[in-house]
Amino acid sequence: MNDGPLIVQSDKTLLLEVDHPAAPEARKAIAPFAELERSPEHIHTYRLTPLGLWNARAAGHDAEQVVDALLTWSRYAVPHALLVDVAETMGRYGRLRLEKHPVHGLVLSSLDRPVLEEVLRAKKIAGMVGARLDDDTVAVHPSERGNLKQALLKLGWPAEDFAGYVDGEAHDIDLAEDGWTLRPYQRAAAQSFWDGGSGVVVLPCGAGKTLVGAAAMAHAQATTLILVTNTVSARQWKDELVARTSLTADEIGEYSGAVKEVRPVTIATYQVLTTRRKGIYPHLELLDARDWGLIVYDEVHLLPAPIFRMTADLQARRRLGLTATLVREDGREGEVFSLIGPKRYDAPWKDIEAQGYIAPADCVEVRVTLPDGERLAYATSDPDTRYRLASCTHAKIDVVRRLVRQHASQPTLVIGQYIDQLDEIAEMLDAPVIKGETPVKERQRLFAAFRSGEIGLLVVSKVANFSIDLPSAEVAIQVSGSFGSRQEEAQRLGRLLRPKTEGRSAHFYTIVSRDTVDADFAQNRQRFLAEQGYAYRIIDAGDLTPDPS
Amino acid sequence: MLDALLVAGQTTSEGVISIVRADEARTARALQRLLDLALAWEVPGGIRALTGVADAMRGMPAGISGLRPSSPEPASPEEVTARLAGLSPAAMALLRHVDAHGGEGTTGSARRTVSPDQAATPAEELISRRLLVPREGHTVVLPGEVGLALRGGRTTTEPVDQVPELATSSRDAALVARTAAGAAFDVVRRVELLLDHWGVQPPSVLRSGGLAVRDLKAVARELHVDEEGAALIVEVALASGLIAEGAEPDGTPAWLPTDEFDVWSGRSTSERWARLVDGWLASSRVPSLVGSRDAAGKSWNALAPELSSGLAPEARRLALRVLAELPEGEVLAAGTGIASVVQRIGWLRPRRPTVFSDLVTAALGEAAVLGVSGAGGLPPSGRLVAADDLPGAAAAIDPHLPRPVEQVLLQADLTAVAPGPLETEVARRLHLLADVESRGGATVYRFSSGSLRRGFDAGWSALEVRDFLTSVSQTPVPQPLEFLVDDVARTFGSVRVGHAEAFLRADDEAALAALVHDPRARTLGLRLLAPTVAIATSPLDVLLPRLRELGAAPVVEAADGTVRVSRPDLRRARTRRGRRPAGAVEARQAAQVQAVATAIRAGDRAESSRPSSAEATTPSGALAALRDAIETGSTVVIGYVDNHGANGERVVDPRRLDGGRLSAFDHRADDVREFAVHRITGVRQA
Repeated sequence: MNDGPLIVQSDKTLLLEVDHPAAPEARKAIAPFAELERSPEHIHTYRLTPLGLWNARAAGHDAEQVVDALLTWSRYAVPHALLVDVAETMGRYGRLRLEKHPVHGLVLSSLDRPVLEEVLRAKKIAGMVGARLDDDTVAVHPSERGNLKQALLKLGWPAEDFAGYVDGEAHDIDLAEDGWTLRPYQRAAAQSFWDGGSGVVVLPCGAGKTLVGAAAMAHAQATTLILVTNTVSARQWKDELVARTSLTADEIGEYSGAVKEVRPVTIATYQVLTTRRKGIYPHLELLDARDWGLIVYDEVHLLPAPIFRMTADLQARRRLGLTATLVREDGREGEVFSLIGPKRYDAPWKDIEAQGYIAPADCVEVRVTLPDGERLAYATSDPDTRYRLASCTHAKIDVVRRLVRQHASQPTLVIGQYIDQLDEIAEMLDAPVIKGETPVKERQRLFAAFRSGEIGLLVVSKVANFSIDLPSAEVAIQVSGSFGSRQEEAQRLGRLLRPKTEGRSAHFYTIVSRDTVDADFAQNRQRFLAEQGYAYRIIDAGDLTPDPS
Repeated sequence: MLDALLVAGQTTSEGVISIVRADEARTARALQRLLDLALAWEVPGGIRALTGVADAMRGMPAGISGLRPSSPEPASPEEVTARLAGLSPAAMALLRHVDAHGGEGTTGSARRTVSPDQAATPAEELISRRLLVPREGHTVVLPGEVGLALRGGRTTTEPVDQVPELATSSRDAALVARTAAGAAFDVVRRVELLLDHWGVQPPSVLRSGGLAVRDLKAVARELHVDEEGAALIVEVALASGLIAEGAEPDGTPAWLPTDEFDVWSGRSTSERWARLVDGWLASSRVPSLVGSRDAAGKSWNALAPELSSGLAPEARRLALRVLAELPEGEVLAAGTGIASVVQRIGWLRPRRPTVFSDLVTAALGEAAVLGVSGAGGLPPSGRLVAADDLPGAAAAIDPHLPRPVEQVLLQADLTAVAPGPLETEVARRLHLLADVESRGGATVYRFSSGSLRRGFDAGWSALEVRDFLTSVSQTPVPQPLEFLVDDVARTFGSVRVGHAEAFLRADDEAALAALVHDPRARTLGLRLLAPTVAIATSPLDVLLPRLRELGAAPVVEAADGTVRVSRPDLRRARTRRGRRPAGAVEARQAAQVQAVATAIRAGDRAESSRPSSAEATTPSGALAALRDAIETGSTVVIGYVDNHGANGERVVDPRRLDGGRLSAFDHRADDVREFAVHRITGVRQA
């Protein structure tokens, strides 16, 4: 028996005892190949997945290192079958290589002939490859580069892509580090991406992913296409790039529903690219509009399926994915891996929080009891409408009022799912509300006012979930969410995680109705928070500071 | 040696030594040992094998050399060599082929008595030169002296006194011990997990006695092992007497943990391990065959009774003994080690059937899974197992096994992690309150409202649950978990279900309370559920009169809540038929006259169209008619007044008439019945 901090389970989970003196070292050793699944207070759970192991292979780790790390830090004997499996899985990566052949162009070559034979016999692959050049090499149509990688991953033989990238149209981009500097992890993330060629950088919300993107652009020195989730986010990217780089506003174009500019740096929304008219995507030509040297995908975990298909055709260009989490609610992590690239950098929330770059958050669940009348209505209602009934109870409005009063001096966001409820709350609190129908101009005006401190209270619907930088928010009150989506919880918490002045901690309140589906969903979301290491408290609405009125 | 002696037949000691390809001194020693064991015998002309030896060895596969005994009067080696020299290449090739394949062949169409110059085929050529000797049927054998000559005058082409080397590599002894201990812990844990599971959901026993493939697959899934590993675990459990065939409540035979299992699970991990190893060592079971196919192409099921071999225990012991010869720090080489052990054992035990080497290979694999060996070498505990000192082995492995822990880490995401094997009692309780999410060296439990409710169902209270959690947790119980416990406790039992015969509702709370507490109502089993509702264990028909007696005025409510008015039934007698007023009677008769007349006329018509057989209604007439019927054996209809005074007609075949009783076959009763004559009102022909 070895007194290590790690316990390797036969179901391929790794348990890391956080309070163990050797835990930090062990964490460092396993982080490259194991994915952190949850990180509650005492024991963190990592999981060994094929994707994780391949990510490690792509980052230059070999099976021996992985096995060695497991054996070194494991408290008990490591199940033999697991070690064999690790070695086997890792051995699968890189047996096939996509390369540039001086004569034949793009080729798929193999270091292991039987593997090549096996994949060539797969029906899916057959249509993507051309003539067999010799025993170990087969020609590949350049247009199938992405599809082939995707198909090979599905077959369990992920190919390593050595075919290189086009440089793209050169364009001078420098970081303008006047009065600020890149944080060490941002610099490391950008460097690690550049060394790897293409891939995904995982950083928590509020950790400054935009700057990682800017740093990557400075590396590329080429025209860049940035794909973002929505228009507001696009404007923020633009503002940030103008402020932090040598780029001027004229060099940055916006390609959205409203404006269609193509400039050396173009920021496009997912929505406009995926707009479909008569079965075709009219805005797809944007991707070929310039000789892009770099494509940045913001919030890559939200990448819609059509973008994946388009990305498959862009394999010759460098691709940078930015995200807070690799977890996709639709389980398409494999496509991110094969089409955008392996994970190039990852830093857990808590680590960055410990370094003081994001504010610690105090998560509180406030439980309200439905009034008898509503409870009866809830009990007798249709299952489809129950969640809405439970989340929109009037009891919550009273709690919101009390919480807002409690944090009167702090900038506060009230976040919800249902517009009626938000309107009601806004009316009661006499606060502006931002919802889907609010024009972008108005939205921006309100956000700007909130940022400047002009408005201390904002009621927002889910349009605010993504990429709207509200660094001044200190309190968030969530009155309803979309059915317990974990990813949404991360985003909402992210709104608050920007560093606060005077080191104040942020407050995140979730109001849930007791004994209803609302509480069940809340439990799901909180499990995610607890897994991320945020201890949360539960209080009863009755225990809040009583309403003075 | 003995083999050589048999090949040579009666010979001198020099003669036999000369044909063994080995160091002469050693061969001589071996010969002496054979003489000491009286397996060889000194006779005037030299020595020979004991007569019985050849018989005893016959039937087994040919010995090391594969040579047959020499012919009774062998030609001299020189002559044989000369005969061999005269062979055609084809005949030589044939001869070598026969030699390499057991020294026996069939001749097919070859003639058996030919002279060398008549020989037409290689086979005939060989037979004619007496290099192959015909035997019964179409077989020919290669005599020993020819074989010797073919092999250059020796019984084997390879030296036989060189012990096959073991392929080894060096490995840290501590790692060997750790690997073995890890495997040992795993196998104990898996057996326990399996049997806990089978105790609740036992798999059924196949008609042929084994375990269904489907059940084996389920075991593999449950235990996170492959099917081979699963087969080994169930077989080891069987060999250790921890499972046996039993019967489910409905009588179907099933594999169940034995009562021995309960004793076993109470012991320490090392003792449990020793028990498993003990069972494995002595068992004749062959788990390695599970899943492979027998000669008929049917695959072997785990736990099938045929799946055993008497050689298995020997193979295991030999394998361990060979491993024990390795010095500490030396282990079998990764690729070639196992094959070299098989070779060594083949040399040590040359006369075992070919399956023996498979058994040895399997034994080495099993030893690794059971934690007897680790990383291809034997740790101190494994050496003690090889020396048959199991208690010593248990003591040796004990320090390397994970310590049992009594406490878990409770976390805010509603999980509990036991960072090692849990004390059995704690584990069982935790198992009740939480679901296992991940197993291995540690166990991860998850609390959910469902799992906690299970605890409440088993009779725990919220306080007990909280106390238990506090007592097993190294850290304070996280607040979300406390809330979950309270939430479940709050909703637990919020709807109660019970059985009652009747219910009582009253708007007057005082009246209902008074009724429930009335001592005279005690027998009704009244219980107050709410101020205005009580239930009773007595049925309604008892309850109603009693309640009235007690002065209450109950109203019965139907299932749909409507009030059912019930008043006592008023009793009435049936009106007697008395005289009706004359006018009414006349009026009725007048109305009926027409119909009656019509009916009579119709009757008369019918009468006239039928042969008359007047009904005998007088007693004497009836008797005469009955006698008549007895004589003619005909069927009659009798009018008969039964015991109840009811007048009826019976269709009977009269048989006998005496003592005032008629004995007749009653058609309606389909049986012979007795009728009192004085009750017969009339007789007519049927």
